[in-house]
Amino acid sequence: MGFLKDRYNEYGKGLQVTLNTMLDTVKPRKLGGGPATVQYPREKEAPPTRARGVIALREDNCTACMLCARSCPDWCIYIEGHKELAPPRRAGGAPRKVNKLDRFDIDYALCMYCGICVEVCPFDALFWSPEYEYSEPRIADLLHDKTKLGEWMETVPEAPELEAGAEKKKK
Amino acid sequence: MTDLIDRQKLGYIAAQAADARLNVELETEGMTLNIGPQHPATHGTLRIIVRLDGEQVVWADPSAGYMHRGYEKLTEVRTYPQVTTLINRIDWLGSFANEVPFILAAERLMGIEAPPRAQVIRTILFELSRISNVGLFLGDLGVQLGAVTPVFLAFRDREYVLNLIEGATGGRFHPNFDRIGGLKDDLPSGWVDETRQVMKKLRGFCDEMEDLLFGNKVFQDRTRGIGVIPAGVAQQYGLSGANLRASGVDWDLRRDQALPLAYDQVDWKVWTHPDGDSFARCWVRLQEVRESTKIVDQLLDLLPSGPVMAKVPRIIKVPEGEAFVSTENPLGEMGYYVVSQGELGPFRVRIRTASFNNISIVPWVLRGVYVPDVITILASLYFILGDIDK
Repeated sequence: MGFLKDRYNEYGKGLQVTLNTMLDTVKPRKLGGGPATVQYPREKEAPPTRARGVIALREDNCTACMLCARSCPDWCIYIEGHKELAPPRRAGGAPRKVNKLDRFDIDYALCMYCGICVEVCPFDALFWSPEYEYSEPRIADLLHDKTKLGEWMETVPEAPELEAGAEKKKK
Repeated sequence: MTDLIDRQKLGYIAAQAADARLNVELETEGMTLNIGPQHPATHGTLRIIVRLDGEQVVWADPSAGYMHRGYEKLTEVRTYPQVTTLINRIDWLGSFANEVPFILAAERLMGIEAPPRAQVIRTILFELSRISNVGLFLGDLGVQLGAVTPVFLAFRDREYVLNLIEGATGGRFHPNFDRIGGLKDDLPSGWVDETRQVMKKLRGFCDEMEDLLFGNKVFQDRTRGIGVIPAGVAQQYGLSGANLRASGVDWDLRRDQALPLAYDQVDWKVWTHPDGDSFARCWVRLQEVRESTKIVDQLLDLLPSGPVMAKVPRIIKVPEGEAFVSTENPLGEMGYYVVSQGELGPFRVRIRTASFNNISIVPWVLRGVYVPDVITILASLYFILGDIDK
């Protein structure tokens, strides 16, 4: 008996684990089974709302203050801007000076996805989006300009609700 | 245990004698074998030069530095918030654990402490990164010894933990979630329940591993009595973490140090093993994963309410001074010696990584062993290349 038990421990157990895993895999998802993997191009995994996939830009909010470009750890944000005169808010007032954004590029070949730029932005112009399908055949094509960054604004989700006991953020 | 060491010594003497005999009688030399820098048995680009006599190792030397990225120097030209995103990449499997000692050192210099809720969440994420790191080790270990099943189980179950880390921090491998004075954000709703379920699954994974791998006779034959490191030698070479505890030294910085982390609020145990062989090192790590799941479960119950960020100035300037803080990371003791001159960034940072000291014992422990055991010993010592080369 001891002999059989030893043989089972040596060879049988591995086969049993394989069999159990296989049975789990063919079990329908409703019953808590299903494969652990996802067949990528046909099936897509939904990343969590906080996932740092790509940085989206709301161009109207940006004042070209350069805070994000300065705080980036590898300096992959390129900003150019100029000042423009806009019509006054009230009739008869003096014309306002506004900062106009000429260029806002992020080099995703350099970006480390740390999120410091999104955090330091004082005007809520930068957001994280969980979008991840933007690979390019050439590394130089990963430099994305403000129109492309603006398109990603559509994919930005609402911030998730916080766990019980958390303090509400004062804004 | 003593006769095992004697056996190792005898093996060494035999190897020396055989080498001498070969040289004198046959006028041939032993063989020099390069394991690495690119080799499936090394986890990255570590080169180990091994001098062989037949099947026995006479001399071995690890040659590190193929992946040196210069983080100590890079931190000098970054501000404090920027540093955490770099040091995430030192030990890439347990990346959140890299941030904690640095942030604690900066907080000590500034004289602030994170609020209790932030401390608890920090400890939870710290333990989760330990589980994802050591869980992968348990799978990888099997592959190195020729058992392929465990690696799939380990990758499957590590994915649950990575999803948790991603759900809370936004990054799977590089969370960059720790800030001076607290955390970037609070946990999203539903995270606590999800974590409880995952911890249950991981305990199942540990049981399965213990049954499948550690109870296997082939595995035991290949690890028991292989690469014995006595407690005295382990301390002399500066080993830390599970490698030291497997030699019977009861030493764990989570318990022995008073840091603003929540380890003193929970009930847990430091596992040691008297043998000091490869099996002991793997076994201690397995018990650690299990203990980590228990710590996380208890901390989730304890989670206090309140803010996750202390009051810190918007532009962080750390006052002049020096501080060294080390914590018990998945691989062993990891510490940062931060020198500040009152500027936006550190003046000098010295990083003490666990793997660098852990592989320093390789020349000692590989002497006299057989070639297949080299892989076993290297796997059981468990180093990560980013952690060695920094």
